[in-house]
Amino acid sequence: MIYIAIIIGCIIGAILGAFAPVIPYTYSSYLSIAIVAALDTVFGGIASVIKGNFDLKIFLSGFFGNSILSIALTYLGEKLNVDIYLAAIVVFVGRMFTNLGIIRRYYIDKCVKFIEKKKLEKESKSKEDEDETTETEA
Amino acid sequence: MSKIRNLKISLLLGIMCMFLTLGIAIQINTVKNSTTTVGKTLVENELRDSTLRWKQRYEEAYAELEDKEEELNSLREQVASKDESYGGLTNKLEQYNLLLGNTELIGKGIIITLKDGDSDKVKGYATDYIVHDGDILEVVNALKNAGAEAISVNGQRIISNTGISCVGNVITINGEKVGVPYEIQAIGLTSQLYGSVTMPGGYLELLENAGVQVDVEQVEKETIIIPRYNGIYKFNYATIYE
Repeated sequence: MIYIAIIIGCIIGAILGAFAPVIPYTYSSYLSIAIVAALDTVFGGIASVIKGNFDLKIFLSGFFGNSILSIALTYLGEKLNVDIYLAAIVVFVGRMFTNLGIIRRYYIDKCVKFIEKKKLEKESKSKEDEDETTETEA
Repeated sequence: MSKIRNLKISLLLGIMCMFLTLGIAIQINTVKNSTTTVGKTLVENELRDSTLRWKQRYEEAYAELEDKEEELNSLREQVASKDESYGGLTNKLEQYNLLLGNTELIGKGIIITLKDGDSDKVKGYATDYIVHDGDILEVVNALKNAGAEAISVNGQRIISNTGISCVGNVITINGEKVGVPYEIQAIGLTSQLYGSVTMPGGYLELLENAGVQVDVEQVEKETIIIPRYNGIYKFNYATIYE
């Protein structure tokens, strides 16, 4: 359900983006850092849904707070001639990988459990069959 | 309850992803369409190109100089092979090189240092207390009038066809950039040189009154070294008229 919504959202966004106006180049650095922040938030959201501790307030505040803070840091860095946005990118991407790890582990576990369950079912079924045959033989 | 919550979450994530991809699409379009980075690199490349071109020109000129010096040496050897007139000719050669400024010279004289005035201390227009190309020209002219035998400004030998001109905030002499402070060295009769530049109503007094920092040092020992002219004389348009 969540993934369907994400895919639909992505498609709509891409279509809208194709017709969207071009922003001035000076602001593109701010937009890029906001994109990284949003990407981090989305991954964090998916991970928290999997963990089962998803909180709407935390999610929304994280989305806007991270974006605005990273934009402000980029602006400050530009004024101070320090590439602060690099630090923001490092933090966001690092967290993205952590969240991705959580998501990955969850699905690998699910897969392994599924396979084991099938194996067990098969075994029990074959056992039952054997029992049946021995019973008839007897 | 949990189903409604799930729907809410997926709706929110969907909307968020929509904005995310919208942002990414805008960014891609912006980066693709913008010419700023291209323009920047273009200017940089042009500057790099021109630097390389100038370097090449300098190397060509230097090669020419080396060629000429080799030619000179071979000519000297030729002369040396003819014994009878050899002594007189080398003397003449040395004399001509001296006149052309092709030899390093040592002697006594004066050293004049000109510095821009301190903008905190001096009142008036900035153009008044900054050392201009014309100021150097005037001082050099005064020194020539006083019988200076060799003059250099910041290591640039003043020769017969030296040009002193203003390029922004620096001055070019012999086509080479020199900057503040300007150290004008001259070899000649020390007292005569000193008197001519420091006389009341002279140019240095005018400069000092305008706020320029002027320092004149008399050197009585033969310690002033004036470098040789390291350029080449070229006569493209002039030929000897007989």
